[in-house]
Amino acid sequence: MFGIREVASYLPEKKISNYDKKDKFELDDDFIENKIGVKFHTQKDEHEKASDLCVKAFENLINKIPIDKSNIDCCIVVTQNPDYNIPHTSAIVHGKLELSQTCACFDISLGCSGYVYGLSSIISFMQSNNLKNGLLFTADPYSEIIDHDDKNTDLLFGDGATVTFIANDALFIPKDFSFGTNGKDYKELLCKDKLYMNGRAVFNFTATTIPGHIQKLLEKNGLTDSDIDKYILHQGSKYIVDTIRKRLKVNEEKVPFCMYNYGNTISSSIPLILEEEFQNQENKKIVIAGFGVGLSWGSAIIEKI
Amino acid sequence: MKATIENVKEVIAEADVLGDVDQMKNDTPLSEQGIDSLDAVNVYLLLEEKFEVKIPDEDLSQVQTIAGIVEYINNQLA
Repeated sequence: MFGIREVASYLPEKKISNYDKKDKFELDDDFIENKIGVKFHTQKDEHEKASDLCVKAFENLINKIPIDKSNIDCCIVVTQNPDYNIPHTSAIVHGKLELSQTCACFDISLGCSGYVYGLSSIISFMQSNNLKNGLLFTADPYSEIIDHDDKNTDLLFGDGATVTFIANDALFIPKDFSFGTNGKDYKELLCKDKLYMNGRAVFNFTATTIPGHIQKLLEKNGLTDSDIDKYILHQGSKYIVDTIRKRLKVNEEKVPFCMYNYGNTISSSIPLILEEEFQNQENKKIVIAGFGVGLSWGSAIIEKI
Repeated sequence: MKATIENVKEVIAEADVLGDVDQMKNDTPLSEQGIDSLDAVNVYLLLEEKFEVKIPDEDLSQVQTIAGIVEYINNQLA
């Protein structure tokens, strides 16, 4: 079966402590740990680019599974902080990994919904074009666009990258996808020079849109909560993950929260948790949901083979 | 539905804020009674949903206390 064969990731070693910002932003430990849910956020070296993070994620992938690079025929990078405006970062990754000249490469410009869109896109594109071995990268180094005096964003975001290997002999396959956009509110999360986020508007959007969106996807597939082993939600903040979970009325054990030590990694947040959850043999059916910049959202049901 | 001190306190409790909502003072800002900025955003959303009103950002200064919330919502509903 064609689908997700393996997932690997890379997180920079450098971590910024939010405890060191308590005085600057008038924070207490409860706010850091139970509201934001980010104790430390990862930060890449200044000279590193998104493509460098992707290459390091790939190095971790080949430590997990043997891959013949000459057989890779599709490479997609999900990012909104590319190495350059021109060319696409996937071409740079292609060059650094010395992939075949018969390999298709393109970028997808999406934020926190990007992994779900990317997963659907790479599988559809590869199946339509009879491609066999694909790499779906996520890398969105927000450290390049953060305003360090903005409490709304300076505490949240971490750098990182993931790579999902798409091939036959899959471990998990997507069963169904669902997507949505509210472009009228694009200004609520915007980067001209530095990142701006209207925290209240983004919270209201996620709390009012995402639980119903996930519920409809389950109903469309004749599923109920009892059929789902895990809900892997984009790790926007602990407060957002908790709010969606409560509105979905699902057990806390089914909704992993894993960003304490690296932060909100945008499109990498879902695959970072998938990498962990794929090790748990009891996970047969997983819902993934990404939401954010756009405003854009997407969910999928993925099943163990 | 008209807003009262009691049903506004029910909404605040629904937001899972720290502390005993019944002990909260009606004329003291929520921010001085253990409700941080994220809790407040959730409380405002729950109020909007329960009373079917909109509380735009520019009106937030009017809904800083429980008494202020009751007055603001009832003015919106009038």
